[in-house]
Amino acid sequence: MKKKISIKDIGRREGPLAEITPEDLVPLPYPYDQPGSEPGIKQLTAEQKQKYESNLDGVSAIGLKRPETREEEEKVVSKFLSGLEKLLSKENNWTFLQPLMLSLENCAKCQTCSDACPIYTESGKMEIYRPTYRLEVLRKIIRKYLKKEGKLLSRFTGSDIELNYTTIARLAELAYRCTLCRRCAQTCPIGIDNGLITHEIRKLFSQELGIAPKEIHQLGTVQQLKTGSSTGTTPKALHSFISFIEGEIEERTGKSIKLPVDKEGADILLMHNTGEFISWPENVAAFAIIFEAAGLDWTLSSKMMGYDAVNYGVWYDDVQFSRIAVRHMQAARDLRVKRVLVGECGHAHKAMLVIGDRLFSGDLNIPRESAIPLLEALVCNNKLKLDPSKNSFPITLHDPCNLVRLSGIVEPQRRILRKICPQFREMEPHGVANYCCGGGSGFAIMDNLNFSDWRSVVSGRMKLRQILNAFQDVISPDIHKYVCAPCSNCKGQIRDLFGYYNVREKCGIHYGGLVELIVNAMVDMKEPFIKWEGIQ
Amino acid sequence: MPVHLRWELYPVAHEKDKPYGGSYLEEVDWWHRPRRINPFGEFQVFLREILLFREYYKSNRGYWYFVYPFHIGLFLLIAWIVLLVVEAVLDLNGLAVHALALNPWLKALYYVTLVTGLAAFVLGLIGTAGLLAKRMLDEDLRVYTDPIDYFNLAWLLLLFLSGLLSYLLEDSSFAARGLVQGLITFKPVETGPLLTTFILLSALFLAYMPFTRMMHYVAKYFTYHKVRWDDEPNTKGGKLEGKVRELLAQPESWSAPHIQQGKSWSEQTAGTVSPDNREAPK
Repeated sequence: MKKKISIKDIGRREGPLAEITPEDLVPLPYPYDQPGSEPGIKQLTAEQKQKYESNLDGVSAIGLKRPETREEEEKVVSKFLSGLEKLLSKENNWTFLQPLMLSLENCAKCQTCSDACPIYTESGKMEIYRPTYRLEVLRKIIRKYLKKEGKLLSRFTGSDIELNYTTIARLAELAYRCTLCRRCAQTCPIGIDNGLITHEIRKLFSQELGIAPKEIHQLGTVQQLKTGSSTGTTPKALHSFISFIEGEIEERTGKSIKLPVDKEGADILLMHNTGEFISWPENVAAFAIIFEAAGLDWTLSSKMMGYDAVNYGVWYDDVQFSRIAVRHMQAARDLRVKRVLVGECGHAHKAMLVIGDRLFSGDLNIPRESAIPLLEALVCNNKLKLDPSKNSFPITLHDPCNLVRLSGIVEPQRRILRKICPQFREMEPHGVANYCCGGGSGFAIMDNLNFSDWRSVVSGRMKLRQILNAFQDVISPDIHKYVCAPCSNCKGQIRDLFGYYNVREKCGIHYGGLVELIVNAMVDMKEPFIKWEGIQ
Repeated sequence: MPVHLRWELYPVAHEKDKPYGGSYLEEVDWWHRPRRINPFGEFQVFLREILLFREYYKSNRGYWYFVYPFHIGLFLLIAWIVLLVVEAVLDLNGLAVHALALNPWLKALYYVTLVTGLAAFVLGLIGTAGLLAKRMLDEDLRVYTDPIDYFNLAWLLLLFLSGLLSYLLEDSSFAARGLVQGLITFKPVETGPLLTTFILLSALFLAYMPFTRMMHYVAKYFTYHKVRWDDEPNTKGGKLEGKVRELLAQPESWSAPHIQQGKSWSEQTAGTVSPDNREAPK
């Protein structure tokens, strides 16, 4: 039996603290139920281990380089402590101070939350992934190093933790072993939010130490603020994508649709995740087909910050988050649109409709809505001519956490699917009790070293199980099946998960968005809009 | 505490007609529609939680078997003390509460107090003993249990035990009401060693409790009402807008390279500087 890892082990210099072995993982359903049917997580090379921090669990999510001298290590420790003080101050953290203090001070340590966490359970209950582990580490550091409890008192209160460079490096990695799905918070009888604790630790690292995964920071928010999009797409490049999509629409449907761009005073500014233009242009096309068929007064923006709804700041940095949120609204204001509609992007919903809500004032406080209720109104009020028999294949719905548990948009997408997909079936559990795809909080775009393996094997494992279970009666690869995932990041994660486990070939399961299904059911589509060969 | 950014978690108890966890964001044009709020929603959830500990029952049954009697024991203990005070006041006014009282209300009050006190001690004892045993025997709990947690539970166990023993061995008619009367009238009252222990442990516990995590019964109101269910939208020209503007005017001092030094939040966010310290593209 493995020795239980304790809280103070986080400061133990030798590592890794834990290792993921295939035997520990919860077995998957058919056809992945045979030993050896999983590829496993790549081991880092000796050189990589020497260069990057990986002694939490043998995985490197953020590519943190090891310091070369003792002085550098000490500097990190001292910066961490100054950041921790700022995290607990009103001036520097008014944005989340009250929720943070409530969660820091009131956990009853009953571990009720543990079984709600798919990363913890699917890893075979690896102690370091337990939702309360991070909270306990942080609490103990605060008691010992900020409140400066004496030796005797700190033993009594259990604050016997050593804050060294190893502790900090592990904590930084540990902040990227939670997808911020907040399923743990939902089940806590007191309302403690370990997802928030993860969010706050990430903030401390980013805002004080400048430590964050490059895909989220340099290639994400920094690039978005510079070029207009986290994908690096410039306004000029966007016009090329739009022309390409117009061509695709004509080729696929015979319809000649001109996507409206920068139409001042339009009723709706539709904001997509720019990843859609690049990876899933059929989603952008489907929105255009539906909106044109319904005769809506809408536009896209090609202005700086107006065409990429993403806001990665929501996962790790309040300053970057606020900068992007405000610039999004500035772009909407400059077009004088009546309202902003968020396309199929979960975190953009949470960023623009929920978390960013209180940042906007005056002329930036422009109405913001999800596109999904509008789609529901069009479908369910018969504004579009639809033939459900065109969607006669098994379909299940993946609930993006940011849409359901974190924004409360639960039923509109279901009403659409019930109306136009005769073989719609729910996966279990679903709705606000859903499980994360495993790519939440930035994971879907993070590919450092062996992290992409980890997010397929560990964080995406529960979602794969749910999808396989939903289709067990039709699991043959000869039957086309569709996972509807109305979120770009979830689609990215499912794409990688399916690629890793070869799901399309082995089980005939495909994935895509919601609007594609609506267009596929449109009566005036001569050819099916969903091309099974073309999608992954 | 300052206003914080929204961080709600669905289901939100005051949402009307959305028992599956939906929000007003499910409505087209929600901005212009009146909010539909169930004024009793939050109260219902709190009541269910306080009376039944439903979340524990649903998600952690093994823990519920002990945490539930423990808390009910505490509630009853408080109720018992209140009853004793009421009885002492009545007695001072010539209305003696005892088993043979002629007035049926006074007689009933005597038995209610008796049952409340006994139930408090027995349930509290079961709860604290069970939680203590669970924390010592269950490895998942033991790793997260510090000496102070054992100390607090042991204290409460002794409190309930001394209360029960004082009833069984010293004070079968709950003469503790005499003690309460003594406190009210500032007259010394003689008590047995068990009752004295019980009173000492209770009084010290009341003084110590605010410094412990046991204040979570107060915190729960805030974690739910002020965070989990705080979905108040920031309407144009509303109060929230004004409060946030004040907070945005504050300086902040984060020191990572992408953060401008010496700027306020609003300068950082809506200002003209981009994170690489250059002018933001216009």
